[in-house]
Amino acid sequence: MSTRTGAAQRPNGSTQGKICQFKLVLLGESAVGKSSLVLRFVKGQFHEYQESTIGAAFLTQTVCLDDTTVKFEIWDTAGQERYHSLAPMYYRGAQAAIVVYDITNQDTFGRAKTWVKELQRQASPTIVIALAGNKQDLANKRMVEYEEAQTYADENGLLFIETSAKTAMNVNDIFLAIVDELDENVEVPGPNSNKLSKFSLLNKTVGVLSKALFAKIVFPISINRKDSIISCDPSL
Amino acid sequence: MMAKSSYSKVDEYGFERPTNFNYELYDHFMSSYIRVLTRRAQRWNTLKYDIYKKPSTLKRFIRKGIPSDIRTAAWMHISGAEDIKNSSTFTYRTMKQKISNQSIIDIIEIDLPRTFPDNIYFSSHEHLPGMLFNVLATFAHQNKEVSYCQGLNYIVGLLLLATKDEESSFWLLKILVEKILPQYYIVTMTGLLTDLDVLDELVHKYEPLVHRHIHNIGMPWAMGTTKWFICLFSEVLPTETVFRIWDCLFYEGSKIIFRVALTLIRLHKDKILQTSELGELITCFREMKNHPSVINCHQFMNDIFKLSGNLSNSTIDKLRIKYGKKKL
Repeated sequence: MSTRTGAAQRPNGSTQGKICQFKLVLLGESAVGKSSLVLRFVKGQFHEYQESTIGAAFLTQTVCLDDTTVKFEIWDTAGQERYHSLAPMYYRGAQAAIVVYDITNQDTFGRAKTWVKELQRQASPTIVIALAGNKQDLANKRMVEYEEAQTYADENGLLFIETSAKTAMNVNDIFLAIVDELDENVEVPGPNSNKLSKFSLLNKTVGVLSKALFAKIVFPISINRKDSIISCDPSL
Repeated sequence: MMAKSSYSKVDEYGFERPTNFNYELYDHFMSSYIRVLTRRAQRWNTLKYDIYKKPSTLKRFIRKGIPSDIRTAAWMHISGAEDIKNSSTFTYRTMKQKISNQSIIDIIEIDLPRTFPDNIYFSSHEHLPGMLFNVLATFAHQNKEVSYCQGLNYIVGLLLLATKDEESSFWLLKILVEKILPQYYIVTMTGLLTDLDVLDELVHKYEPLVHRHIHNIGMPWAMGTTKWFICLFSEVLPTETVFRIWDCLFYEGSKIIFRVALTLIRLHKDKILQTSELGELITCFREMKNHPSVINCHQFMNDIFKLSGNLSNSTIDKLRIKYGKKKL
């Protein structure tokens, strides 16, 4: 599936710059918080007990960046090992993946590495991979050190950030960092600087996010993938 | 019990109704369905155990719905669960005492609060999560090939809500996983992958336009229908509709799943054909539970048996062999 770019009409009739649409997949061990991260990003909600996902769930979210509207098509997959054989259909053709682990569980970090390896071997060579260490609110029970994950991410050219779907910490940021990373690879007319501070979420259920939230994005990003190419379809 | 729930935001099994639930339509349906239920209860009550002696009458009766108060006994009897219980070397109680594998215990415990968290019985009933654990863990210990597969938690959750009995739920789970459904829950999920191919061929035969459209958009059946097979329509269709399907599933076998799947696709044919991209198509599949014909479970069950052509277990088994071999 390609990222489509083209002119779009705003509700008030003025012409928007362009629309980018891309497919993103969440992978990771069962109960690390994949569905919770998506629910937080898409609906601004958190459920202490999120139903276990069978097969996969599909959600969308749209965000605005300068004159660009970005539509995420999000595939939230089942975590249990035996659902693994169904995973390729979800990451096939995806422009981005968030591989999630639980910072309080070392095994889930190992599983995350396995997913990264599989993506590097079998997904699109231009896929942007973000590693998310979730449940940061439980840092007092931490079993995976931040530095360990950061080093691993650096070595493998991954975006890396610790998140908490519960407190919302860094949740929007990881999705937006992915856009930023994808954007690096697209020819975007107009000013490119300080993009993140100009993001606003369109989805009303999320509520208005302050610019300050996005301005404070200073998380460590290791970018080694400058070779990604996103096809543009101006006909949209 | 059912009459009271017609205006409640929670259904008779403790599930919250969807926010866009059509109460007017539901009320209209229930006013006639209550008469159906009363009549069915009288008919079953008149025949009592004699009903099991006449297969053709039994099949007709089951298709029209088993009264909820005798469902546990009827399911146990018609599925063969009663037989395997009686011939088993071990009692449920002895098997339950063998729960010991910590990794199995851990993985099931994670899913307990994640099974129907919005259901009022699961969130307020102090024993229900414990019963769910016992059934899943006992099953996992006695079937090493399946052990625990996510999705079984929803099936056992519904079994417990229907039967209110831990031991019956265990035997019904055992007969479902080990006899009625083919290899869905084993580590490779071979049976699921095969049945998705079988569904593809059946849709091609019954609804060629839908088949072509779905292939054009590029939706693998697993994306839209994995839950149909793995959860046996729990979490997919309204609870009463699911139990009516299970009535037939326990007696007639897994071919029923294909009748339901084809009927759902047929009912949503126009909507499916109107979709133009994958996201829309997936959303269409996800929202099938809101279709008036799906809420009217009595009509829906009529519809699934109106599908013409041969959908016998032997037809399905032949297709399973055809596609199963391909995977080896």
